[in-house]
Amino acid sequence: MTRVGWPALAGLAALAALPWTPWMSNYWMLLAFDALLFGAIAMSLDLLMGYTGLVSFGHAAFYGLGAYATAVLLEREVLSVWACLGFALLVVGLYAAVVAYFATSRRGIYFALLTLIFAEVVYTFFRYTQTFGGSDGIQGLPDAELLPGLPIATPQAKYYLVLGYLAFAYVVCRLIVTSHFGKVLVAIRENEDRARFLGYSVQRYKMGACMISALLTGLGGAIYPMRAAYATPDLMLWTESGEFIISVMIGGLGTLVGPIIGGVFFTILRDKVSSYVDWYFIVIGAVLVVIVLFMPRGLFGFRRLRLRPWRATA
Amino acid sequence: MDYLVAVLLPQLLHGLVFGAALGLLALGLTVIFGLLGVMNFAHGELYMLGAYAGLVVIGLTGSFWLALIAAPLLVGALGAVTEVATLRPLYRREPLYGLILTFGLALVFREGARQLWGGDMRRILPPVTGSTPILGMTYPNYRLFLLAVSVTLLVAIWLFFTRTRAGILVRAAVQDAEMLDGLGVNVPRLFTFTFAGSAALAAVAGLLLAPVFTVYPQMGVEMILLAFIVVILGGMGSLGGSVVAAFVIGIAQSLLTLWMNPQRVAIAIFGLMILVLILRPRGLFGREGVLE
Repeated sequence: MTRVGWPALAGLAALAALPWTPWMSNYWMLLAFDALLFGAIAMSLDLLMGYTGLVSFGHAAFYGLGAYATAVLLEREVLSVWACLGFALLVVGLYAAVVAYFATSRRGIYFALLTLIFAEVVYTFFRYTQTFGGSDGIQGLPDAELLPGLPIATPQAKYYLVLGYLAFAYVVCRLIVTSHFGKVLVAIRENEDRARFLGYSVQRYKMGACMISALLTGLGGAIYPMRAAYATPDLMLWTESGEFIISVMIGGLGTLVGPIIGGVFFTILRDKVSSYVDWYFIVIGAVLVVIVLFMPRGLFGFRRLRLRPWRATA
Repeated sequence: MDYLVAVLLPQLLHGLVFGAALGLLALGLTVIFGLLGVMNFAHGELYMLGAYAGLVVIGLTGSFWLALIAAPLLVGALGAVTEVATLRPLYRREPLYGLILTFGLALVFREGARQLWGGDMRRILPPVTGSTPILGMTYPNYRLFLLAVSVTLLVAIWLFFTRTRAGILVRAAVQDAEMLDGLGVNVPRLFTFTFAGSAALAAVAGLLLAPVFTVYPQMGVEMILLAFIVVILGGMGSLGGSVVAAFVIGIAQSLLTLWMNPQRVAIAIFGLMILVLILRPRGLFGREGVLE
């Protein structure tokens, strides 16, 4: 408990009380769902970006695969939440193992590009496979059931589902970054060669971080169709991965809580700005540019990626 | 024999034409990568803006030829401003920041174009019409023209990099910018001009391909992945490599569509890329150890 921390518990309690506040309409409940989901996924990505120093441009594939795993089961009237989550973990785990194995054998920009291209393969596959609905995806799914006869139907129930997921993901991430394993990840970020000289199997640690981050993201994806009742290939588009990265950058690398807030901020910004003007992507892009230029620690971050001279290629 | 002339040969020429234009796009990308260590995600948007700038100039003057001169100048100027305002402050930072920054720029450019010109597909009419019989088949004149212009430009760029002082300085900066800086060359200015040049090349590619494809705000998103693939295959930072790789990818793609449906082709090319990245990350002609 001490490793998770009382502020986190207080935050969780506050979030749990949110549906009881008078101004939470159904619209706000569902927006809160999206915001927390995005936040939790940004946090999972932070494990990789902020702590291990690996930027993944392919997290949308983990997210989308999780969503399709749920969608395929719900479509066939397998309504158990636990079955969906288990199936998603299996599917995402198998794919992530392949990606993690190959991508972690390369550093920096090559890691980013490998994850990007792997994700494009998955996207292209789902986009053009009619079994999975092609570009329309799988639509009109029934509500999932927590227990037989106990459907997750109301916005409040869905909100608590995502809150449970967020709490679980946060505990996992927090335990990891405070463990020896997490310290080694930071060591790899700071100086990969030195970590290797100290005898750590760098690739194995990176693979571990990748797998955990991917599985948590996949779980988030698995929850999405339980709220939206669909899964489409657009969830896997590489620009979606970019939006996860934006959330992490807004929140601050290597802080866990920062990316949650970043994801919430990003989701609400996107929703609110888009209801006033239809050029919200300009706002989002500009926010990202400003943050990279002037606030490399993010709005809520406390540290930055290590500095390097401009020639990284010596 | 009929199959050869009627099917294989046109497809091969298509690949050659597309590869040449892709080469223009990839060349700029690889030079910027070599200089700044940044994979420019906004490159596809510069390509898209080239087509739109052309559309505007054609709308004003009715001349494709004027557009072919004005579009690269306009987009090149935009590139220079962008470089000075956003990339220059990042020189001494982790290259991954540049990657993320250009992703943000791409969003701004793409959405800006959609706001200015709308999201619907537009066409630019080819300035050269008709077709020519060659090798027993007839081939559209515009594509031959496209091939000629692209190849001329590629040769001109090659001469620039091998015969002119400015070109040699750029290559030296790709090798070791810090050393060049120490020798008294104004490296930041060199970077800005190179970025502008790379933007102008992307614009030329965008305008040249516009009559073949269509013009819409998302057109850069699909091209940029292909351009990334070309740059990886050729070896990041390798100029000759990216041109060769552009032809390889262009021809491979157009030949493969004869036997596979397009999505299988895409997956096949992605698969090829993953293999290259794993087995030979420096690509066909790249130097060993570049940002590995």
